[in-house]
Amino acid sequence: MRAAAYPAFALTAFQSRLVYRNQVWASAFGDLVSIFARVAIWTALFAGASQVDGITLPEMVTYSLLAGPLLYWEYSRVLYDVGDAVRTGDVAVFLLKPLHYPSYLLSTHFGHFAFECVAIVLPVGLIVGFTVGLLPPASPFHGLMFFAYWAVSWLILFTLACLCGLLAFWLLTAFSLEWFLMAIMSLFSGAIIPLWFLPAPLATAFGYMPFAWISYYPSAVYLGKLDVAATWAHLGIGLVWLAVLTAAVLALWAKARHRLIVQGG
Amino acid sequence: MPRSLAVVPHLVRMYVRTRMEYRGAMLLAWFAQALSYAATYTAIALLLLRFGNLGGWDWSEMALLLSFHLLAYSIGASLSFTQFRNIEEQVRLGTFDAVLIKPVSPWVYLVFSGLNIGYAGHIILAVGLMAWAVTQVAVDWSVLTALYFLASLISAAMVTAAIMTMIGATALVWVRSKHLFSIFFGFWELARYPLNIFPVPLQILMLTVAPLGFLAFVPVAVTLGKPVPLLGDWALFGSLAAGPLAVTLGALHWRHCIRNYQGAGG
Repeated sequence: MRAAAYPAFALTAFQSRLVYRNQVWASAFGDLVSIFARVAIWTALFAGASQVDGITLPEMVTYSLLAGPLLYWEYSRVLYDVGDAVRTGDVAVFLLKPLHYPSYLLSTHFGHFAFECVAIVLPVGLIVGFTVGLLPPASPFHGLMFFAYWAVSWLILFTLACLCGLLAFWLLTAFSLEWFLMAIMSLFSGAIIPLWFLPAPLATAFGYMPFAWISYYPSAVYLGKLDVAATWAHLGIGLVWLAVLTAAVLALWAKARHRLIVQGG
Repeated sequence: MPRSLAVVPHLVRMYVRTRMEYRGAMLLAWFAQALSYAATYTAIALLLLRFGNLGGWDWSEMALLLSFHLLAYSIGASLSFTQFRNIEEQVRLGTFDAVLIKPVSPWVYLVFSGLNIGYAGHIILAVGLMAWAVTQVAVDWSVLTALYFLASLISAAMVTAAIMTMIGATALVWVRSKHLFSIFFGFWELARYPLNIFPVPLQILMLTVAPLGFLAFVPVAVTLGKPVPLLGDWALFGSLAAGPLAVTLGALHWRHCIRNYQGAGG
């Protein structure tokens, strides 16, 4: 299939989400409650201190929005799509079509992500910005680099979700895999706790794992916690991780499609 | 009603046997879910290691709060979550009509024909963490305290099951209600932290229309002798009454929705 056809999948996914308006309101409300909760938690933890380890409360509020709904997007949809396709046998239909299944997943879920950004994250960000206040990027350089990190973050999370999803070809269920990935993300990605508040040995170890490029590094770059040289260096390491994970997805897909057991009929 | 209850063991046995057919997948799911909660709790523990306390709650007190939250939720949700989440699909496809013509109460049939033993991983983790936490917190345990703790745990589980019943029942009238679970889980996540750290409007919400403050914070705060915002001395009574009150409201809502169910499938 021509590469130009894949954006159509993204557009279809985006448009399909417009149908379920109640879900949009509910998700936006859920995200809003979650962000205000995080703001309350950080306010309680700071307990009136102007800064802790060189980090201020407004920085943590901004970090919460970036590391949470923006960067830590709803990846479980990828796992369920692959898991359901394997369980119902629908994956056989994708194999008959002239398309590359992982690329199809990539474009479809980019469409879902774009929709969530526009319909959920942006309104939530505006409400938080006007009520609690959000910080601008530390500098124009950090602001621009944030977009590069954002792209790497999205692709790394997608490849991780895709890897777990493809394991459903062997396990025939994606349910447990989603929870395993959730466990890893809770601790290592920086979505709940930034690495700068962890004990030094843990922060160093977690800082080299690919999960840190999902929430921690993009948010840290936005807030100017990495200098220019470190920003470039970590972007390079992130790209290496992305290349490794992409190769792993392609290799796993090559194996998976040769051992397909169709359960459905 | 006695006929409904007589069929319960058979429904449960049937469902458990179907789940046990895929034993490996079931055990893996138990482990994965417990691991995920353990990872989140570790993150919270690391935060408290750095900051000392959260709203006046140290790690052992937070561990008691988290374990109570998980245990009460697991007991309530095993009786309700997957069962009432799937009602929407049954209504849309018209298969809910088949539930209505069975010679047992539809609620009893739905709950016990899908009694979710998948929460075992949650329960094992929660009981383990709770067993550690009760020995660490500064509570002078007596028979009365232990009875209160147990009764408030049952009450909290009733709150969970009642809210999920109400959300599921809403699908009988609105056809769609799955999105309401997103809102439920938004508040559910807040319920694992001390209520006193949140702004007053959120505290009011968590003790009234979204009463998940009673899921863990209120009973654990009463046990620990900590002040409960807005409720004060009424917290003890409130935590025990919340479950029966939620169940009464849930039953009324369920009956109202069953009476007004018109079907959506063909």
